[in-house]
Amino acid sequence: MAEFLFYALSIAAVLFGIGVISAKQPLMCVLSLLGSFVCLGVIYLLAQFQFMAAAQILVYAGAIMVLFLFVVMLLDLGNVEELKENSMRILGKKRITVAVVVAGGLALTSLLGTRDSMASAGPEPVVVRPDAYDPVAEIATLLFTRYLLAFEAAGLLLVASMVAVMVLAKRQREPLSDQR
Amino acid sequence: MTVTLVTLLKILVIYGGLINVAALMTLAERKVSAWMQFRIGPNRVGPWGVLQPLADGVKFIFKEEFTPEGANKFLFRIAPMLSAVPAMLTVAVLPLAGDIAIPKLGTFDLPFFGPTELGGITTNLSITDLDISVLFVLAVSGLSIYGIILGGWASNSKYSLLGALRASAQMISYELTLMLSLLSIVVMTGSLDLREIATSQATIGQWHIWTQPLAFILFVVATFAETNRHPFDFAECEPELVGGFHTEYSSMKFALFFMGEYCAMAVMSGLTVTFFLGGFGVPFWPDAPWFVELPAFLAKTAFFLFLFIWVRWTLPRFRFDQLMGLSWKWLLNLALFNLFLTGLASALGWF
Amino acid sequence: MVIVKRKELSFAERLYLPEIFRALSLTFRNMFQREITRQYPEEPLPKTEVTRGQPRLVELEEGSLACVSCGLCEAACPAYAITIDGGETENFIEREPKLFEIDMLRCILCGFCEEACPKDAIFMSDELELAGFTRKGLVYGIDKLRRPRAALQKRIDYVYRINDRWRNSSSTH
Repeated sequence: MAEFLFYALSIAAVLFGIGVISAKQPLMCVLSLLGSFVCLGVIYLLAQFQFMAAAQILVYAGAIMVLFLFVVMLLDLGNVEELKENSMRILGKKRITVAVVVAGGLALTSLLGTRDSMASAGPEPVVVRPDAYDPVAEIATLLFTRYLLAFEAAGLLLVASMVAVMVLAKRQREPLSDQR
Repeated sequence: MTVTLVTLLKILVIYGGLINVAALMTLAERKVSAWMQFRIGPNRVGPWGVLQPLADGVKFIFKEEFTPEGANKFLFRIAPMLSAVPAMLTVAVLPLAGDIAIPKLGTFDLPFFGPTELGGITTNLSITDLDISVLFVLAVSGLSIYGIILGGWASNSKYSLLGALRASAQMISYELTLMLSLLSIVVMTGSLDLREIATSQATIGQWHIWTQPLAFILFVVATFAETNRHPFDFAECEPELVGGFHTEYSSMKFALFFMGEYCAMAVMSGLTVTFFLGGFGVPFWPDAPWFVELPAFLAKTAFFLFLFIWVRWTLPRFRFDQLMGLSWKWLLNLALFNLFLTGLASALGWF
Repeated sequence: MVIVKRKELSFAERLYLPEIFRALSLTFRNMFQREITRQYPEEPLPKTEVTRGQPRLVELEEGSLACVSCGLCEAACPAYAITIDGGETENFIEREPKLFEIDMLRCILCGFCEEACPKDAIFMSDELELAGFTRKGLVYGIDKLRRPRAALQKRIDYVYRINDRWRNSSSTH
């Protein structure tokens, strides 16, 4: 039963993923992504990662996808090209610098993550205590001790990318004198 | 075998109860509003108008199903379901009462299963007990935005779209307050299990309404916003947006939106009781049997349901910028402050 | 120009919550006030002699109508609701209406017909309810309009009294 569910959900998730990149309407893309997230959440649940499942639905489906939907509905999607041009103009010659900074940030974050996970010598002792196993406490402990630096770095990177998107997506208003 | 049967029975009873509560709420809303305005309210269908929800149901079934031109048919159909289902799902983890011991009923010869021994287990009155039921509730109730936002978008009507946009902006803003005010309770209890949170407030002095009064006020305000009720009902806001996101809906689709709203109210009231008023605990009777605990829980929940109606017919609607200002400038900061204080007290070992 | 000064709010008022509780207590107290709803069909509206309902024709004791089909009410009617066709009879009063129709959908209950009538044959009754399934059905003929004089007596007395008062106070008298 669990195996069948796993395969069915995986196939559904992949199909939804294909929907994300192939759907014509942007709204349908967002909804496909939502479906994919929900499938993943249920797969986590099947694997007994209850906390992961809840977090997946809560954070991705409940908050982030709503914002996506919001943006898609509010945005005047007729002039995507203009937006693209606009952002290229703002970036200008600094394009390469920005790319390097972003790539460097990503690399640094993943490096930190790997370093931290390698830090404990030898294979990680897997705790199999189904009676006393508290996934929330486990995750919290790991997140705030061993992976703290990587966690904070990822957060910083996300904030930086958010600021960047704001700068790029902001429509430049032409000064009044230029209209003549 | 017994466990499966008992679970099925619990699902039937609890969902049936929830839907009946939602139906009766429509009547209660009209009755209470009438009393507050010196009127009588519905009194034609059945004694005291009790059968009014039934008459409304019949009316809804026979109304014309209307789909506006240019609407996205698929999303238009699916939106009411997306709005109603999360509200009904969350009731699955609400602890309604403590343990029930089912005595041994003897061995029965069931068709397909052969002789089976029934009874002899102890169960408790909630459909399921998750370790992380708080997160489950928050995650699933967060999904109810989709029904509203998709319903508004798929209707191909500007009123609907505006209502949907307002509703989603509002629900995202107030969800933060909702979660943060709950977190301080979670910090105090040290558990994400609703049943454990409820049982940790055994005596009336331990109710979290006394230990966390600020969180209580924040949570109640946020539930009003989350369920799109007055004074925050910008999703429908009749004078400006006709009917908001459900302007174009009719017949059972509209009824489903309506059911969803009332179910969400019932669940939110139940959650408020569980978090702040000791859940199913009976004041001054620590280990009451389940048939006393269940009415206690229902009575407490009924008070909050009444509060929803009461406030609706008392307060005027906010302005939208006031709503957003209240959320981001006041409630969110207060919730963060409260969480900080609770965390500090917890770290210092004050409780 | 009027300069409106905003009222300075006290801290409690700006906190908003105490005011909410005041409002809530008001609505809660209102719940126990007496209802002022009238249960209409069971509890009819109070009717007095002044009530100006639908016009009705007076039927005399002998069973004939007081109307002589002079056509003054037809002429006075501002809504053109009245249609009359008269004829002669062998009675002491030699004329009576062969056809007297009031289109109740057009009638505006103004009472001009009552004032115009020289024979005290048409009065405004206290009947107010009007319902039907067709427009034709709401064009009332003689059979639906005739009422024994006793049924209209209250209104008739009232009209006489008012007319007397008017006559006695008239400056041209």
